[in-house]
Amino acid sequence: MSKRALLPRWLTSEHPLPWLFPVTSLLIVFGLYPVLYSLWLSFYKRNPATRKEKFMPSWNWEKLISDERVWDAVQITFTYALLALAIQLILGLSIALLLDTDKKGFGVLRALMTLPLVVPPAVTGMMFLLMYDSSFGVISNSLYALNLLSPTAPILGTGSTALLGVIIADVWQWTPFMVLIMLAGLRALPKEPFEAASIDGATGFQSFIFLTLPMMSKIIALAVLIRGIDLFRIYDYVKVMTDSGPGTATETLTAYAGTVYFKSANFPYASTVALATLILVLVTASIFIKVFKVRF
Amino acid sequence: MSFKRFNKQNFIVDSANKFTAGKMSKRDFLKKMGVAGVGFSAYSAGMLGGNGRPFFGNMAHAADSETPAEVADFLREAGKPFAGTTIRYTSEATPPTNVLNELKAEFTELTGINVEIEIVPLEQVLAKATQDVQGQLGTYDIYYLDQAWTSTFSPDTFDPVEYYESKPDLAMPGFDFDDFSKPLVEGICEYDGKWIGLPFDIPIFTLMYRKDILEKHGIEVPRTYEDFTKAVEMITAAEKENNVFGTGLQAKSGHYSLECDWTQAVWGHGGSIFGKDKNFSGNDEAGIAGLEWYQNLLKNAPAASVTSTWDGQWQMGASGQIALCQSWAEFFPGWNADDSEVKGLWEMAKPLEGSATLRSRDDVGFGEIPGWGHQGGSSIALSRYSKNPDAAWLFLQWACSKDVMTRCTLIGGFAPMRNSSFTDPRIVERKGLEGAGTTRHLDTVKWTIDNVMASEPDLAIWAGVANNEIPTELGKLLTGQDYDGSAKKCMDQVAKLVDAVVDEADLG
Repeated sequence: MSKRALLPRWLTSEHPLPWLFPVTSLLIVFGLYPVLYSLWLSFYKRNPATRKEKFMPSWNWEKLISDERVWDAVQITFTYALLALAIQLILGLSIALLLDTDKKGFGVLRALMTLPLVVPPAVTGMMFLLMYDSSFGVISNSLYALNLLSPTAPILGTGSTALLGVIIADVWQWTPFMVLIMLAGLRALPKEPFEAASIDGATGFQSFIFLTLPMMSKIIALAVLIRGIDLFRIYDYVKVMTDSGPGTATETLTAYAGTVYFKSANFPYASTVALATLILVLVTASIFIKVFKVRF
Repeated sequence: MSFKRFNKQNFIVDSANKFTAGKMSKRDFLKKMGVAGVGFSAYSAGMLGGNGRPFFGNMAHAADSETPAEVADFLREAGKPFAGTTIRYTSEATPPTNVLNELKAEFTELTGINVEIEIVPLEQVLAKATQDVQGQLGTYDIYYLDQAWTSTFSPDTFDPVEYYESKPDLAMPGFDFDDFSKPLVEGICEYDGKWIGLPFDIPIFTLMYRKDILEKHGIEVPRTYEDFTKAVEMITAAEKENNVFGTGLQAKSGHYSLECDWTQAVWGHGGSIFGKDKNFSGNDEAGIAGLEWYQNLLKNAPAASVTSTWDGQWQMGASGQIALCQSWAEFFPGWNADDSEVKGLWEMAKPLEGSATLRSRDDVGFGEIPGWGHQGGSSIALSRYSKNPDAAWLFLQWACSKDVMTRCTLIGGFAPMRNSSFTDPRIVERKGLEGAGTTRHLDTVKWTIDNVMASEPDLAIWAGVANNEIPTELGKLLTGQDYDGSAKKCMDQVAKLVDAVVDEADLG
């Protein structure tokens, strides 16, 4: 009898199902179940005083539509995501172009680029919080010295600058991710088209516009999709640095869901806001995939 | 180089300024920041909204005495069935919790019961307690409950008085419930005729002032809000160049600390949070006057006030940045600690009196108690969902016993919960001290508790309203995000939001 015959039948199966079972189970338990539970919860009206819940399927969803804070949060979420994404994309591609060389020492530079990625986002938030401090923060003091900022308007305590302050922390941490993806793409590009263009007298800029960008478009689209989804569910930096403030100047949808959940203990409504975030991400991502023909 | 707190902060600021001005190389700057590293991180904890209220007590006093023999014998005997049990409690890093964390080994030695104290920021304490009671999980045997949450958690705790009577074998001899300060019991842990826990901590607003600065400018210690405003404006005008401001605030948007400042201002101007009709009344004439007064104060405070909670406000006082402060009395010991640059320069006075009459308790809703001194006390309570309630009950009694509470005050310098502690010879003899362990402020604190203590309303949704709707909208106003600087517009919006929440909870 062969060794194979001694093994349980499912372990020798060539059908994909047994092999997909473990990861599928995990996805169901930790992904699908919480979503379905949240959906079920969103159909209940909770009385925070008595903690009693009553089945009222449209209550929270109607409240969501009429809640001005939700619409402000949607606007802030989009502003945050689009601005951070644009900066990270431009910086990421630019740095990747600079690092795309086999010259001595650049390997070390490429490795160093990954360092911010290993810092937990909450720690990054705290780091920037200190650097923005109006008394001793190196960033604030530099801006005061250059007369670019008034000491009476702390970066994170002023409505007009707080969001940008949080975005900068995000950009510092996640631009290297863009660099890594772009570098991988650049280094996989065939050399022949560039050599041909060079012989034909194309400038570096022309090569970039007419060769690099078109050939990198799939990679760029994928990077934008991954980072975009991440940015829509931003929470750590906002929580640590501003706690959604001042007022609601940095309150994203996820931050608002957190506030409703942890401060007001209105779990059904918090679930509704969280589901709205999920819907927003799914719709935006689907439109993006369709428009830019992203293929996995 | 002296690395005391004040010097440390100046050192960091000076270094940063030199670096940005190009007078210092990056290498030197980084080296100096490295040297300042320890203090830097300690300071940062405060700036981050940190793990809790500032504590600069003297732990050396922890070993000064030990549990009295009678109590120790009781604990040895009563604790036997629970030896090896572990009880858990989560708390903000309040001074009493910090002290208790140091002393808990003494309890474990006597009973064999292990105690795990999880210290997290106040908002996380609320989140954890909320999760625990929602799922009736029993993760925590003891809850730390801020006075603002008393009614919210009242169904989830055992009444300690009833528990004491129902379990005579576990009743600590001489525990004496009557010794707890009556106003504190009423204001902190009593709801609907039930004790939800034992009073544990009493931060309360009093006036604190730098006597050297007031003397320098010939200013009398303010007694009224008008005096205070004049003094603050005069000092800011005269000392701003020296980076000294008339006052400092804990006005962080969306944080409970801002709500505390606001309620003090409203009560101080004859207003209240709720009216007799149970509608929000912060938008009436008195409420608006209070908020406008606060808006003006912000102009005479460091810019960091709008990003500061109590930690930041404490730092302003400890670093000599402010001259007057109506805030938590428990700041006082730290401001006078041995390592403070302003040691002995801070004094305490009774809280300010408003020109308007305090609103009567009959004219307000939800059990609110208007007064001149806002209290932010807390209790520790026995969870109904605890898996080891008897073991936890032993710890609770020990933690709130006469001796341990007195020792907590001796170590931390904050006000005790028990009347007997105020007259304890160990407390009385420290009244002459200037530095760490001073108790010279406690008479004023006791007077404030007994005579003019104010308490926030008791309603089950208050925790949410006090941490969300009110401080968020106030933040919009104070930072210019909305309302065009109009206190009235802001308060009208708060009224709309709060009344909607009250109605939704069928409490209106």
